[in-house]
Amino acid sequence: MSEAIAVYKQAEQGSSLWQDAWHRLQKNKLALCGLMVLILEIILALLTPWLAPYGYEQQDLALGAAPPSMEHWLGTDTLGRDMLTRIMYGGRVSLMVGFIATAVALLIGVVYGAVAGYMGGKVDALMMRLVDILYALPFMIFIILLMVIFGQNILLLFLAIGAVEWLTMARIVRGQVLSLRQQEYIEAAISIGLGPWTIIRRHIIPNTLGPVIVYTTLTIPSVMLLEAFLSFLGLGIQPPQSSWGLLISYGVETMEEYPWLLIYPGLKLSITLFALNFLGDGLRDALDPRASKD
Amino acid sequence: MMFKTQHGLLCLLLLILTACGSGESNVSKGNREGILHWGNAAEPQELDPHVVTGVPEHNIIMALIEGLVSKNPTTLEPIPAVAESWSVSEDGRVYTFNIRSTARWSNGDPLTAEDFAWSWRRALLPELGNQYAYMYYPIVNAEAFATGELQDFSQVGVKVISPLSLQVTLTHPTPFFLQLLDHYSMFPVHRATIEKFGQPGEANTLWTRAGNFVGNGPFMLEQWDLNKVVKVKKNPQYWDASTVRLNGIYFYPTENVTTEERMFRAEQLHYTYDVPIEKIAVYQREKPQQIKISPYLGTYFYRFNTRLKHLSDVRVRKALAMSIDRKSLVENVLKAGQLPAYTITPPNTLGYTASSQLRYDPAAARTLLAEAGYKDGEGFPVTEILYNTHEQHRKVAVAIQQMWKKELNINVRIHNQDWKVYLDSESSGNFQISRASWIGDYVDPNSFLDMWLTGGGNNRTGWSNKTFDYLIQNVAPSAKTKKQRYAAFQEAESILTDELPIIPIYTYVSKHLVHPSVKGLSSNILDTLYFKYMYLEPESEPRSAIKP
Repeated sequence: MSEAIAVYKQAEQGSSLWQDAWHRLQKNKLALCGLMVLILEIILALLTPWLAPYGYEQQDLALGAAPPSMEHWLGTDTLGRDMLTRIMYGGRVSLMVGFIATAVALLIGVVYGAVAGYMGGKVDALMMRLVDILYALPFMIFIILLMVIFGQNILLLFLAIGAVEWLTMARIVRGQVLSLRQQEYIEAAISIGLGPWTIIRRHIIPNTLGPVIVYTTLTIPSVMLLEAFLSFLGLGIQPPQSSWGLLISYGVETMEEYPWLLIYPGLKLSITLFALNFLGDGLRDALDPRASKD
Repeated sequence: MMFKTQHGLLCLLLLILTACGSGESNVSKGNREGILHWGNAAEPQELDPHVVTGVPEHNIIMALIEGLVSKNPTTLEPIPAVAESWSVSEDGRVYTFNIRSTARWSNGDPLTAEDFAWSWRRALLPELGNQYAYMYYPIVNAEAFATGELQDFSQVGVKVISPLSLQVTLTHPTPFFLQLLDHYSMFPVHRATIEKFGQPGEANTLWTRAGNFVGNGPFMLEQWDLNKVVKVKKNPQYWDASTVRLNGIYFYPTENVTTEERMFRAEQLHYTYDVPIEKIAVYQREKPQQIKISPYLGTYFYRFNTRLKHLSDVRVRKALAMSIDRKSLVENVLKAGQLPAYTITPPNTLGYTASSQLRYDPAAARTLLAEAGYKDGEGFPVTEILYNTHEQHRKVAVAIQQMWKKELNINVRIHNQDWKVYLDSESSGNFQISRASWIGDYVDPNSFLDMWLTGGGNNRTGWSNKTFDYLIQNVAPSAKTKKQRYAAFQEAESILTDELPIIPIYTYVSKHLVHPSVKGLSSNILDTLYFKYMYLEPESEPRSAIKP
């Protein structure tokens, strides 16, 4: 999120595309709602250590799994840990994984795809074959290898997931760029002597934003779930820490006896994903450069 | 013998596949065809009786191979198996077994005394790395051969008198020797098959694959699909084939206990390896006839890697052991009637209860930790608990992690690994603290104590104590009376409780879900299963009207 805000700031000074986009986004109530929810969640995640009613590891074994009550608003898990607290702390991990891993994927994917698409020919062929090779590499083995070599580390987890997720992004961007570089305005840019890097930055990337944003909103949830899967296998975050994905996977196991262990984290994840999707939808419409011409 | 594991997706997939494959459930199809569908916790590491150590492997091997002696499934009294009779010399040191002439391998080869002598030699070959080699140590010179001191197997107390007669000479009269013969580490293996696929001393060769495997048990290996199913079918060559009523057994690697319970409910399994903690009360209330909880001769404990600097300090180990509130753990986390364990040997094992016991005393634990140089947990190295992926192990580990944090203010990390990886990490000493469990291989305190001998294959802690070794290897075996023998065990166990290479946590109960159609399933405290007596009898269904 902070990334996008930074982009706005930079945008206000220069290109009018960003100003236009912001105006158009403001008209989209659903997208604004999504943005608010996300900002609220980020603030909440940042303030969790001060706001959380209990420690995320604090157990009350004798209490066990208790339904929601005045002391524990969202109930407790089977070790008597407060669910509200665990969901709040889980949000820190999940949001961080979601945003950082996606940002990594975005950065690598967009640049890589744009360069490959713009250069074309042998460079393109070479770069895309590398993507194909990485695609063929079993993802799990890759991550396990990383973990074995570097040990367990949340930051590494972000990078590992990001390093895998950029492949699809690169392909999407490359496809877009292939069609864009045939456009007249690119030829015009070349004719006035702009370098390839400037063209990619000023003309190509802004024009690929639509599909990229849509794909990004899809990447964030899949990354969050991937984290849960890895943690479950012992490769991600370790107990007593938690994340939404992990809370859900534990909740599923006891959903018949203690439904609140599944419902609340599930609800929280769903709300976040909805917000992301609405915002992504709104951003795509707002950032469509063709729309600015009407 | 050790324990178990988890993997949701595969089981779920399996469930979906089997559920979609046919309109009929496994249970009703199995009941019709005489096939038992068995939840077996984990993918077997191997099916070689001289290599494996786990319960999932044990279950399958019990169907495939049989030893000289078997046990009564309820009382665990030794009963004839491959040996139709035996005699014991007056001093209790020489056993002569008469092998039945009808004993056959599953390929039709006759099973002879020579087969046993060869198999036992193989089990003791140092290069095989059999972690259960010490099961043979009551036999004269077996230890010397296993450690490589002795090269000549003819000096070991195993002698073939005639093709159907085997004589075994023990160092000391060993009261539980007959029980040992029913343990898979003393099971015979088929020489020609093993030699076809590798050297006798080579582990993990292809001889255990379906199609290659030759056994002598009531069942034979039909199919082994990795991570899916191990299928065995009735062995017509088995000497007692007329007793065997099942046509086959399918063992599933049900690593996720929640999925396993769902498979059971969807009638995909006749029998589960475990019951999820949350479901115990539900079953007891609603379907008490389907849940079976019985005492189990096993201890859940944590191993310390005493080769590490901070864990080599006995005060640290003691502090960690004394700050676990076992009572709260069994009552609030495990909830199935387990007992808090303060000694490694379960209470009342054949009349033996260890007198020196651990205490729960967090205050004393803090003092000990301070004495060891970590006052208030300061400077304590980050320590990691290793466990094999399983819901229950995680819960116990998280609870203990928090107890240590609260009482001793030390930070402990938790790390899980897949069953096979975990076994490998543990035996190669690549851990700090690891979850473990020990299920008695026979009913005798010795089964819980002799594993801690210096360098024992199942010791794995790096701990060694000469007095302890002497008591277990010399004093106890040569004791004239049960009282003297138990006194030696008491002394040995007090050394263990003093030095704590391990932390006993709780005494097991066995918990299973059993479909009502499964009959002939008797319970015993070893939870050892004798498939040859089991059969399936569908509940009498409402009689449908016979149409002309």
